Amino acid sequence: MSIELPVFYFLAAITIGAALIVVLGRNIVHCAFSLVLAFFGVAGLYVLLDAEFLAAVQVLIYVGGITILLLFAIMLTSRASGPGVRILNEQLGLSALIAGGLFFLLIYALWKGIPALAIKVPTQANVPTIGRVLMTSYVLPFEVASVLLLAALVGALILARKEKD
Amino acid sequence: MEITLPPVDLGAITPELIVTGTALVILLVDLFLPRDRKTPLAYLSLLGLVLAFAASLPLWGRARYAFKESISLDPFSLFFSSLFLLIAALTILISTNYLEREEIHRGEYYALLLFATLGMMLLAKGMDLVVLFLGLETLSISLYTLAGFMRARLRSNESALKYLLLGAFASGFLLYGIAFLYGATGTTNLKKVAVFLGKGAPLSDPFLFIGAGLLIVGFGFKVATVPFHMWAPDVYEGAPTSVTAFMIAGTKAAAFSAFLRIFLYSLAPLKPNWSAVLWVLAVLTMTLGNVVAIAQQNIKRMLAYSSIAHAGYILVAVVAGGELGGSSILFYLLAYALMNLGAFAVVILLGQKGEENLNLPDYAGVGYRHPLPALAMAIFMFSLAGIPPTAGFMGKFYVFSAAVKAGYIGLAIIGVLNSVVSVFFYLRVTVMMYMREPRAEVGPIYTSPALAAALVIAVWGTLQLGLFPGRLLELALRSIRPLLG
Repeated sequence: MSIELPVFYFLAAITIGAALIVVLGRNIVHCAFSLVLAFFGVAGLYVLLDAEFLAAVQVLIYVGGITILLLFAIMLTSRASGPGVRILNEQLGLSALIAGGLFFLLIYALWKGIPALAIKVPTQANVPTIGRVLMTSYVLPFEVASVLLLAALVGALILARKEKD
Repeated sequence: MEITLPPVDLGAITPELIVTGTALVILLVDLFLPRDRKTPLAYLSLLGLVLAFAASLPLWGRARYAFKESISLDPFSLFFSSLFLLIAALTILISTNYLEREEIHRGEYYALLLFATLGMMLLAKGMDLVVLFLGLETLSISLYTLAGFMRARLRSNESALKYLLLGAFASGFLLYGIAFLYGATGTTNLKKVAVFLGKGAPLSDPFLFIGAGLLIVGFGFKVATVPFHMWAPDVYEGAPTSVTAFMIAGTKAAAFSAFLRIFLYSLAPLKPNWSAVLWVLAVLTMTLGNVVAIAQQNIKRMLAYSSIAHAGYILVAVVAGGELGGSSILFYLLAYALMNLGAFAVVILLGQKGEENLNLPDYAGVGYRHPLPALAMAIFMFSLAGIPPTAGFMGKFYVFSAAVKAGYIGLAIIGVLNSVVSVFFYLRVTVMMYMREPRAEVGPIYTSPALAAALVIAVWGTLQLGLFPGRLLELALRSIRPLLG
């Protein structure tokens, strides 16, 4: 019996618990901070699955980028996000239906398995592999992504810059 | 660690490199130009587009793949690349006048337009779903910004925000579809997907269906087919008119180029399944687009609904498939781009500062006051309605005859009936221009050599394709063949 199973349960409990606080918490700042915890839990699960690259990206983008963005949004819209916001509204039944449906769909997918992907689990560290593939087979998309980011940067500046006149 | 670099075939992407390079040069030169004199940048970007076109000509020789089969240089992708370069050039020609009138003095406009063109070219060339997705995002992100370029106008802001939210949503669907397709086939390379499905892999895999379905939803958003069209009228109405022209002509062609490569080429074995879905979408799209266009008073909004209807006609040709259906799509997209860009050139010409003068009654008596623009507008309206001898007529003729020959007679009949409905609102513009008394005096119109050139090119193209369609149809046939194997 390896150590992996208890670690998995521990991480899963953290993730689900934090996610529940995100959804049910009344103070939106608390929600945002539990989101960080949930993201960390997911990153831990990725490490457990030997997907170190995905774990690093998860921490960098979700914990580092998106949560900070969320906190900024909360800070700038303090009026709309004060404590004591209503958590449930009249669409509870409908959303429960959709969430439940998605849950069973995912369970079904897991149970059936994805045949084309069930080939082999790479045993070597995947960060160097991904790096190598990015710089060889996918070098063109890699470069296109940089143009995409430039366009986004220029666009953000255009829309946010103060008019001088 | 040893990394062996694959052969980097820069020759294969020269046109894209030129377009990107021009955009970067524009961003730099922009810094040294005075604040209200950005027109030289328009000519710089035109130069870049012409050079890119010239660089794409030697590539027509033989079909090949580059960058580990992630892009394909075949007549299909080159046809579309040339079409996008033409659309971008015409957009720039009709932009200079408009930007000056609306006092948009920003050089980044041209750079973003070129980035968008780059995205469209990658959509046509991409042989890998990763390249296609990045191309689509480059196109979309540039367009989100361009739609909101008139920051002081509420409608422009609304347009950009709606486009961003729904566009991001559509990208999510598309990405999810790509992931499912990858799950079902084990590859993102479209050629390998085609090989995988072609050699008798089980076609009943639910992941395959979910993936194809999500791709239809994602592309349906991008080309604005019913029921994924909700964003289109507001976005097209609110965006600056020159950007609307670019979106209507360019985005649709670009999204269709990727759509055709995925569905006619890679997912061809699933055709019985997806063509049934597209049949329904085509009928809904044509009918709703035409019927709702009747009620529109704003000309930009009317052209927006008309563009939805035209997406429906193109879907008819996709359902028909085969050499005839495929080549009629290429023909139709070129004709569609010419007549829409032309119509928007006239809209810009007759418009007044602050996006005024865009309602139908404003066109009363234009035929007497401005005979030449009115004549051009009449030609574009005839073409959009599908009346000979114009490009629009030949396009519809090829589309519907392809549908009949493929056995979709019901679909062709619905299409023709829709065309008849559409004659009403297109000709209403002409009736307004020639048979109504002019309204009270409006300001003078400003023309420029660039705008006039764009109008002449569009009129010439519309009539040329209507009178002598043979050569282009041959080219379209040659271009669609590599896809059909």
